[in-house]
Amino acid sequence: MTNNSETGAPQTRREFLKTTTVAGAALAASGNYAFAQGSDKLKVALIGCGGRGSGAAADALSADPGVVLTVMADVFKDHLDRSLANLKGEPSVGKRVEVTAENSFIGLDAYQKALATNVDVVLLTTPPGFRPQHIKAAVEAGKHIFAEKPMGTDAAGVRMAYEAAKGAAAKKRAFVAGFCWRYDNPRREFYKRIHEGAIGQVRHIQATYLTGPVKPMPPASTRPAGVSDTEWQIRNWYNFVWLCGDGLIEQACHSVDKILWAMKDEPPLRCVATGGRQIPNNEGNIYDHIDVFYEWPDGVRATMAQRQINCDYNDNSDYIVGSKGHAFIKGWNQLEIHGDAVVKIPGPNRMYRQEHEEFFASIRSGKLIDNSERMWRSTLAGLMGRMAAYTGEEITWEQMLNSKENLFPEHLDWNGKLAIAPMAIPGKNKYV
Amino acid sequence: MITAVPGALAQTPPASKPAQAGALASYAESLPNSVVKLNMVAIPAGTVTLAGKKVPVKPFWIANTETPWEAYDVFAASGPPSVAYDQTKFAADAIARPSKSYILPDLGWGHHGYPVINVSFLSVTMFCRWLSSATHKKYRVPTEAEWEYACRAGSSAPIKLTKAQAAASSWYADNSDGKTQLVGKKIPNAWKLYDMLGNVGEWATDADGKPVLCGPNFKDKLADLTPTIRRRWEPAWQATDPQLPKSRWWLSDGFFVGFRVVCEP
Repeated sequence: MTNNSETGAPQTRREFLKTTTVAGAALAASGNYAFAQGSDKLKVALIGCGGRGSGAAADALSADPGVVLTVMADVFKDHLDRSLANLKGEPSVGKRVEVTAENSFIGLDAYQKALATNVDVVLLTTPPGFRPQHIKAAVEAGKHIFAEKPMGTDAAGVRMAYEAAKGAAAKKRAFVAGFCWRYDNPRREFYKRIHEGAIGQVRHIQATYLTGPVKPMPPASTRPAGVSDTEWQIRNWYNFVWLCGDGLIEQACHSVDKILWAMKDEPPLRCVATGGRQIPNNEGNIYDHIDVFYEWPDGVRATMAQRQINCDYNDNSDYIVGSKGHAFIKGWNQLEIHGDAVVKIPGPNRMYRQEHEEFFASIRSGKLIDNSERMWRSTLAGLMGRMAAYTGEEITWEQMLNSKENLFPEHLDWNGKLAIAPMAIPGKNKYV
Repeated sequence: MITAVPGALAQTPPASKPAQAGALASYAESLPNSVVKLNMVAIPAGTVTLAGKKVPVKPFWIANTETPWEAYDVFAASGPPSVAYDQTKFAADAIARPSKSYILPDLGWGHHGYPVINVSFLSVTMFCRWLSSATHKKYRVPTEAEWEYACRAGSSAPIKLTKAQAAASSWYADNSDGKTQLVGKKIPNAWKLYDMLGNVGEWATDADGKPVLCGPNFKDKLADLTPTIRRRWEPAWQATDPQLPKSRWWLSDGFFVGFRVVCEP
């Protein structure tokens, strides 16, 4: 059932050269294995120039001395300008930021312009509502892809992204998902030991992401004159389900991903959930808490408790009960397995850097990483929980495979009207 | 049950007692619009030896505990947060509030009664600026000299804790379970200041006015439970902040970084 391969088969030089673009052809003429040497340039485009995207670009530049950032795209010029200035100012990597005015693209179609350039690699780091169309377009443009989590904000989008990206290695493209814990070496050791039976068969997982609000919605009265519905929503993207996916999808998806990791990426059979909003949030339509109860065959269960309300207790942990012991990741630094013996797993957490180092190493070596399968499963498992919370229905994995939920606006116009969907009401909203 | 710290800290008589500190008397500061209080202990004038040089210290007040989260929460909620990705601009004399942290700032280690952690020097500077503005007093982080003087309770005798003394007075590697613990639960020093030699390191300013983290924390070993421990910000304290620019408010890997306030007469 699982398909968690990190790498595809090594490709032949001939296969590789068939798929390379102009830059590759030039290198081929010189007789070199394209990208095989650290001195070869890998041109990168950043699509989505917020704080995380800029950080991803810095990580990419740090990961490989041959990486140059040549293209940037965003819907907001102020974001792009700030990001570019910050990246250029980074002492260790700023010199390899070669973005010019001609290669800076602004607007809802900026990603298409970025993909039309001769970059080898794209970093997709916009709000996740745009991710599916960006992944699809990037695959079609033949780029190596780093896609921040989650894969999308609705079943239709995630399915579209997955259909495009799956088999990335066979398509001679690397596809790395920003479910970054999978690149954290202490956690790799933790889940490896669990998969090897250190606590017996996994029987129950309790995952928590109990924290405060991320980016609360400002009052409508603060919307500047001349700012369209579309711009207003994208500026405040965290508060709209079509852009953010809800806190369970945008933030706690990391915990859902770790639940699936513990389960060797076997998707849950079904789930139920409760959720709602306790703290008023102006025009925003996301919940501020969702608790999901997942079920696998043989009565294996997982609970996912997610909250974005300022409270006196916070927790971001994973507690796993097995047939022969238990294990937990408490906070961000305490990893313990209590099986026949107690094993404490130490180690620095440098996952954001690690994921880019492995991404570019995979491009260099031709042993291409493909995270599309697990990215799709983890995102869909999160959406399954949201569907259960929003509807009050029991939702099966089968239903999610067939869900028609598509939240992306049919006509997205930068200057146009864009109605805000009412917040979901369990019992009233239905599975789609 | 150990009711007093035997040895160096408790047996060394303080150079002078707060009760003899001229006009200063200890007091409790109520944080605005809240029930949270900071207990401010009056510290008398004296001298402390830093790097072989005697440094005079004027009278001041210092909080008897590391600043707990409930105090920081009052500050954070006192105005709009800084926008996470646009945190580079505010007027020099303005009071800015922390941006939303990318990670759980308390790491789930405990909140009410637990020391603030993962805070940058800017964060604690703004906390003091806010508290000063609200109370019309002069709050700030201590100078390095004030901090060490308070830690030593005015004594110049070397401090080398035994294991039993450390267990009674400090949260450190052997008893902290790898995380911060409730403030004010161990035996205080002779000036009734808690957790000076453990739990979290505490922001201060050095002789040049530059930030320096004073004192040991919950991860330090017995041999390092001394007032002379210093740490300086380094990139590793923000290594896993995945944003660019990295937060000016939060140290993603500064889980040992806290603070306590002083007040100038």
